[in-house]
Amino acid sequence: MTVNRPSIYIYVNNPDGNLLREVYSGIEEEGVFYEIIERNDTELNRLAFDAANDSMLGSGIGIVGSSVAFQIRGVKYGKNVEQYENPTPKQSRIIGANSARAIKKVSFK
Amino acid sequence: MYIAGIDIGNSTTEVCIGQITLNNEVVFLASTSCATTGTKGTIANTHAIKSALKEAMSSIGKEVSDLDLIRLNEAAPVIGDTAMETLTETIITDSSMIGHNPSTPAGFGQAVGEILLINNLSGVKEGKPYILAVPKEYPYEAVAQIINEISKVIDIVGVILQADEAVLVENRLDKKIPIVDEVARIDKIPKGVMAAIEVASAGQTIRMLSNPYGIATLLGLNAEETRMITPIAKSLIGKRSAVVLKTPGGNVQENLLPAGEIYLKAEYGGNVNIDEGADKIMEAVTKARNIQDILGQDGTNIGNMFKNIRNSMKQIDESEEQVHITDILAVDTMAPVLISGALAGETCLEKAVGVAAMVKTQQLPMEKIAEKLENELNVKVVVAGVEAIMASFGALTTPGTKLPLAIVDMGGGSTDAAIITSEGDISITHKAGAGELVSMLIQTELGLGDRHTAEQIKRYPLAKVESLFHMRMENGQITFVEDSIDPRFFGRVVLLTENGLVRIEEDIPMEKIVQVRREVKQKVFITNAIRALREVAPQNDLKKISNVVLVGGSAADFEIPEMLMEEFAKYMIVCGRGNIRGSEGPRNAVATGLVLSYRK
Repeated sequence: MTVNRPSIYIYVNNPDGNLLREVYSGIEEEGVFYEIIERNDTELNRLAFDAANDSMLGSGIGIVGSSVAFQIRGVKYGKNVEQYENPTPKQSRIIGANSARAIKKVSFK
Repeated sequence: MYIAGIDIGNSTTEVCIGQITLNNEVVFLASTSCATTGTKGTIANTHAIKSALKEAMSSIGKEVSDLDLIRLNEAAPVIGDTAMETLTETIITDSSMIGHNPSTPAGFGQAVGEILLINNLSGVKEGKPYILAVPKEYPYEAVAQIINEISKVIDIVGVILQADEAVLVENRLDKKIPIVDEVARIDKIPKGVMAAIEVASAGQTIRMLSNPYGIATLLGLNAEETRMITPIAKSLIGKRSAVVLKTPGGNVQENLLPAGEIYLKAEYGGNVNIDEGADKIMEAVTKARNIQDILGQDGTNIGNMFKNIRNSMKQIDESEEQVHITDILAVDTMAPVLISGALAGETCLEKAVGVAAMVKTQQLPMEKIAEKLENELNVKVVVAGVEAIMASFGALTTPGTKLPLAIVDMGGGSTDAAIITSEGDISITHKAGAGELVSMLIQTELGLGDRHTAEQIKRYPLAKVESLFHMRMENGQITFVEDSIDPRFFGRVVLLTENGLVRIEEDIPMEKIVQVRREVKQKVFITNAIRALREVAPQNDLKKISNVVLVGGSAADFEIPEMLMEEFAKYMIVCGRGNIRGSEGPRNAVATGLVLSYRK
């Protein structure tokens, strides 16, 4: 039997390397696991929405190029909790941290 | 004919519009309230009066000029003011400690070593323990790599980071060591000094560095030095991580400021030292009787405090006479004060005392206000009736009341009590301290940035947003929402106001805010209601009072009336929040009384 680690899913399509790195660093600093999965879809809203719904923790991030969105399971499609186009490294780190904080029930940064 | 009753209070101006019918009956048409402009009893009040009148009249489709008579309250010639002073002060020179709660420190345990700066690794010796300080310019991979590399040669026992990357660094280390992060002023850490670092294990708080003997053990201090670092240990209690530096020239002091004495000029006057605490001060105030004036010792905190109150009062009272403080309410409190010389914004709880003072002035210039209003509105304005008597008339419109009746009027600046006997005799008293003192104490005890937040905390219940779909109220009840809550509120403590949620910016647990809010309200209002009622009660015996009606702005509070009901139940007193005219709640008592008394 395979058991998936409870982790935050990051669905990516051709992601900006620095952006992705800052996002998962943010999650790691909060002490939560993550998985990066390559997808064919280029619709940011769907990546984030699917990631959140597929993640056992109910928290997911979508990255298309240099755009990033963070979703939580149960929140409506397209109504992302947070979203950035061309974020600064700090914003990228924070969106990652917040996706982890949502699970830890700690207030967002 | 149309009559307006106007009550100018310390914080709110209330208006009541009534019509006298042909058979001499009073019909109430409208009531409004708005914030008082300027200090009570000054010409500036007219702005608030005019806008409140306009609002009230337009709500019944009339103009202000349709009024036939405006009746102003003869405001009690007392004005309240509040002040707060800390009595102790911790000064740490040469920045010798860091204690804070970063959300994610890494590793756990204690370590002692010499501070080594990552950008200056020269002169290190083998076999000697070091603690590495890293500014935020270094990315976490580089830091981890450097530590792994130099650990082969020298002994790195702990790390202090400026960036929030403790876990990221620790995950990449070959050997696990305690790491403290989010230390803002890392540039202030001197190279070469001895330092002790501690990170608590999960779910615990630090043990060694919050204990003076723990610090002494780690840094090898003698008895004299141990005594000196006690304030550091004290301010580190409850933290999850800490760093203590042993700076040779460093010095820590807990200054006891000269708190000073209060002099009571009264029938049974005397002196009380502020150090003895609020209870002792209040005991002396109660014993004193017929206080003519209260003074503070010159050159001390309390002296300055009274001087400030006097000065601000002088601006209102235009008479040349000295301003006399005739009553005070002192309350013990703790204030978190920023420690001078701290590296990560640490605060220390300092002992403080909050004081509300009441000044008896000459008659307030109500006639001038009336004159100005009459000129500007072209409506006849009269000053009619003493405030407390009008409040009693108003309170009597509460269903289920009869004479003899006691009222407690809890406003912004003062708490007043009055008793009307069945024969119509009235006794009145005014006591310092009410809503504004509560706001001030909430602000200081929680260390809030502004008074407005404190006002709101006083007024509204709290909830914690636990997910984007539900929140937990302060009484434990859970509410789910249809649509997701705005992420800005996630994980936050919020106030449930009539205009939706308001976020509290400061990171204070909900339980703590509730506890402080309730304690402060009890300290001020229970003390004051009992003090005031005892003074007007027959033979100063509370048990001789049977009914108490609570009126005024603070009686509209969501928990103060319940607190008083519980307290008065001990004296077998029926006590409850007034409901003026059966519809207005505890507000508008004086304005209603002013309209009613026209007929009498």
